[in-house]
Amino acid sequence: MQREYQRVHQHVKVYEVFARKARPEPLRQIGSVVAPDADLAAAYARATYDEERWVEMKIVPKEAITTLWAPGEEVAE
Amino acid sequence: MSIGELVLSLADNKQLLGLRYAEWATRAPSLEADIAAAAMGLDDIGHSRVLLGCLEPLGEDPRAADRENDAGAYLNLPYLDQPWTTWGHFVAANAVLDTAFTAMIQACVEGNLEVLQSRLRKMLMEERYHFLHGRSWLREGIAPEPLEVAWREAVEWFGPPDGEVARLHQEGQLAAGPAELLHRVEERLEMKAPSFEPDWGAWDPRRRRSRPGAIDARTFGMLRGLEERKFMPSGASRGA
Repeated sequence: MQREYQRVHQHVKVYEVFARKARPEPLRQIGSVVAPDADLAAAYARATYDEERWVEMKIVPKEAITTLWAPGEEVAE
Repeated sequence: MSIGELVLSLADNKQLLGLRYAEWATRAPSLEADIAAAAMGLDDIGHSRVLLGCLEPLGEDPRAADRENDAGAYLNLPYLDQPWTTWGHFVAANAVLDTAFTAMIQACVEGNLEVLQSRLRKMLMEERYHFLHGRSWLREGIAPEPLEVAWREAVEWFGPPDGEVARLHQEGQLAAGPAELLHRVEERLEMKAPSFEPDWGAWDPRRRRSRPGAIDARTFGMLRGLEERKFMPSGASRGA
């Protein structure tokens, strides 16, 4: 049976999830979650991306990230 | 009641909590909540296994032989007897009961029994995410009925002020007694338990509940491995 999900929260944010497997490695983006607050985003990130043995995991609201440039955009001189 | 019986109560409650969480892994209000329900279910079933593994080092195994045939021999709370009918039931259990079990685990870790200090510590890290999940959904608001029932059962599960949990606290096996345990849950959830006086006369000190009843037949069958046998090819046997 096909199921359609509907957002139950009125105000949700996208949180980008960053992690690394070993201390010498840099943090890298491994995915994102959608949640109304950082607490729930942390619980979702841990539940969704816990398949690897990460030594560190962080979440950042996507809106807090400033894009300098992106694919398809001209690099600022 | 011995510390072993209390650990068995924790193990049975966590096993049933894990199974009830898992039942919502395709019914929660969002895909993220589905995944969280599945992950928390796996956590709690795993915690139950670890807790059962502590029984032998603690002394006599308190599991009665009738657990194979009598669903009422399990030490779970009434809240976990039947599948939950609403998301509000999930949230109330996640926020109140799971946090109450975690408060007891913390009291074990901070107590004077080495086996519990060492084996249960990791659970506290995993439970942090159960707590964040439960508290955040609780803040969204749920119907008052499941929340009140969850609080009442948590208070009853901690036991009377002069009961065995209080004695285990006095002996140092637990780092907190019933009043302190309740206070810790209230503090974490930033809310007060509803005021009520449990009927300790009707309370079963072994099952830590006052309401009679037992796990539903299907879940009990699953615990005994009967459900999975339905999917075995005919003629196959366990261990074959």
